[in-house]
Amino acid sequence: MRVEYINPFVESAVSVLREVLGSDVSRGQISLGSKISVLHDVAVIVGLVGQVEGRVVLDLDKTTALKIVSVMNGEEMTEFDEMTNATLTELGNMISGRAVTRLAELGYKFDVTPPAIFVGSSTVSDTIESLIVPIVTEFGAFKINVALRER
Amino acid sequence: MSEEVKEPRGLKLDGSSYKVLIVDDSIFVQKQLRQILTSEQFDIIDAASDGTEGVEKYKQHQNEIDVVTLDITMPNMDGITALEHIMKVNPKAKVIMISALGKEELVKQALVAGAKNYIVKPLDREKVLSRIHAVVSR
Ligand SMILES: [Mg+2]
Repeated sequence: MRVEYINPFVESAVSVLREVLGSDVSRGQISLGSKISVLHDVAVIVGLVGQVEGRVVLDLDKTTALKIVSVMNGEEMTEFDEMTNATLTELGNMISGRAVTRLAELGYKFDVTPPAIFVGSSTVSDTIESLIVPIVTEFGAFKINVALRER
Repeated sequence: MSEEVKEPRGLKLDGSSYKVLIVDDSIFVQKQLRQILTSEQFDIIDAASDGTEGVEKYKQHQNEIDVVTLDITMPNMDGITALEHIMKVNPKAKVIMISALGKEELVKQALVAGAKNYIVKPLDREKVLSRIHAVVSR
């Protein structure tokens, strides 16, 4: 997988989170994952179809996820329900939307599927190794896990 | 002591509220828009969760609606198709697209189809209020 595919998603995650959290967000070092990714408590998955195919996962632990959705809703949220899930899905939507806009400017043509959310640990298997980049916020860190390939 | 009193942007000159139809498949975005708009006295006349329901509700309230906020990525019928239907029902309809996608061709497509403005998420309170106010008050 080419590293240039993950960068728009990482940059988009950093800038979208800065806006919605109103505080500083930074990225960590990129690492190579395996073909099977074991995810944390909460996974927001966006699929890509077209010239580039695969999926992008936001991989969070429960505490970080609840803190982020609490800020986004302007109220304390302590349990997963329809509204917390809709908030996380929207976060995935905004991050992938901005990344896709950027990739389109670079000449890549493809569409994203609406985000799906999984609460409870899960595994995803791919045909290629994934790339992982940690995103660090004041409410905790989470991972962006990307597996994309050209058709 | 003189203090400038700002009129809430959701009010018409006669003191009644501008009426808004919200079309978005996300209950989070619906809630956000509701909070932002009602804070300046816009009246949310109704909300719909997909394009088909949005067009139906537009027809149902068309004589009262001042402005529609329309999402693009939605199940059943997407926002661009819904926009085309609404513009057929009322060529003077005021519709503002609200999307996480800012792709140039998509923005152009929406404006050509009759949208009055296009807001890219994340939603910023001031941006939403000023753009919607600019559209309803002209
Ligand atoms: Mg949507």
